[in-house]
Amino acid sequence: MSASPADGTDPTGDRPATPDIHRPPSGSLAARQAELVAALVAGGPPPPGFAPAPLAAARAALLRKRAGEVARHWPLLAAGLAPHWPATFIEWAADRPSVGGLRDGWDLARALHARHALPALGAEELAVREAAYRYDGDAAPRRRRRPAVGRAGGAVAVQLAGRVRLLRTAR
Amino acid sequence: MTGPHGVGIGWRPEIAGFVAELPGLRFVEVIAESVPAAGPPPDALVELRQRGVTVVPHGVRLSLGGAEPVEPARVAHLAAVAELVAAPLVSEHIAFVRAGGLEAGHLLPLPRTREAVDVVCANVARAQADLPVPIALEPIAALFDWPDDELDEAAFLSEILARTDALLLLDIANVHANAVNRGTDPLALLDRLPLERVAYVHVAGGAEQGGFYHDTHTDPVPAPVLDLLTELCERHRPPAVLLERDGRYPPAPDLRAELDAVAAATGFPLVT
Repeated sequence: MSASPADGTDPTGDRPATPDIHRPPSGSLAARQAELVAALVAGGPPPPGFAPAPLAAARAALLRKRAGEVARHWPLLAAGLAPHWPATFIEWAADRPSVGGLRDGWDLARALHARHALPALGAEELAVREAAYRYDGDAAPRRRRRPAVGRAGGAVAVQLAGRVRLLRTAR
Repeated sequence: MTGPHGVGIGWRPEIAGFVAELPGLRFVEVIAESVPAAGPPPDALVELRQRGVTVVPHGVRLSLGGAEPVEPARVAHLAAVAELVAAPLVSEHIAFVRAGGLEAGHLLPLPRTREAVDVVCANVARAQADLPVPIALEPIAALFDWPDDELDEAAFLSEILARTDALLLLDIANVHANAVNRGTDPLALLDRLPLERVAYVHVAGGAEQGGFYHDTHTDPVPAPVLDLLTELCERHRPPAVLLERDGRYPPAPDLRAELDAVAAATGFPLVT
């Protein structure tokens, strides 16, 4: 995934400025900062002139830091994937900009669930979260007001009056 | 309210119990974005304030080096936290953390150009206009440089400090990291910085990985960083030095030993 023009980035970087109020002039500091961030967190092309190895090291360090943040929000998911966490997260996140540790982990857990690769601990954590919160994959999760059931990989969690219980563990 | 003095530690919820039991502690930092603007600050932080411990809000999301003007709401938040903890000053970084609608998730370096100096100075001036206390600016550890640097690190930082009237938060571990990764002499940088402007110093751990020194804040403080701290104090001892630890917290005796090593390197009294 690369950054869209709406993000204010211009992947080519060296074209003349276009009269677009949403896009900073190509070659300006704003445009170059946007290109750099897109290259580091969104799979954008490396900006011209930067030494590749240090940039790659920075990109890897950012992903490791993100993996740590997601693991704090999703400790069972990370533990269930060990020793392949953080590699699993980093592979999934490499071209996805962060939407915060909670949502990053949620999106990853759903993606793993969809391809039957979610470990039991992660499935139980996901089921509990799905029972407690409404999350549409786009906006911040919101606490459910009505009773709800969350299911993932055989795990079943139920939420009643704000209290969540895991009814059945994952297989 | 006095400025930071002596050996301090970055207050984090995970080590709040450890920090509360440091008998000689007079100075902590709190990550400004972790405190709600409407308050209240965490109880443990309030108790430290009641003991007379200085609390400095340390911002990490202001993006003072961003080409866009600094967001007034972020400055207002930093100002509110400063009032909440009766801080004598606040601190932030010479860096940018977002651009083009994307969050980088970490502090990124600026090109060391006149244009970037202008950008930082304009944003610092905007922040200073709305902050109730002085701001100290921290140069970051950078794993990469921009291809079009016009100034070296000392000239870049000195120009920003001269034009903004800001204080300097010198991170000695960042000085070490940049020197290792760029192959430059850290002492030559210390010799050219306005050390009398240092409000306090950061020290943190790091580790070598993949041919780079990473300023991780999750590893022990290596000996060369402590040696560099001593070199700094021999030139001009700062009023205070603060240990930053941000994860993989060691057992309490190890953390105490690290604080003692910082005290030994600087000649400040033990806080443990």
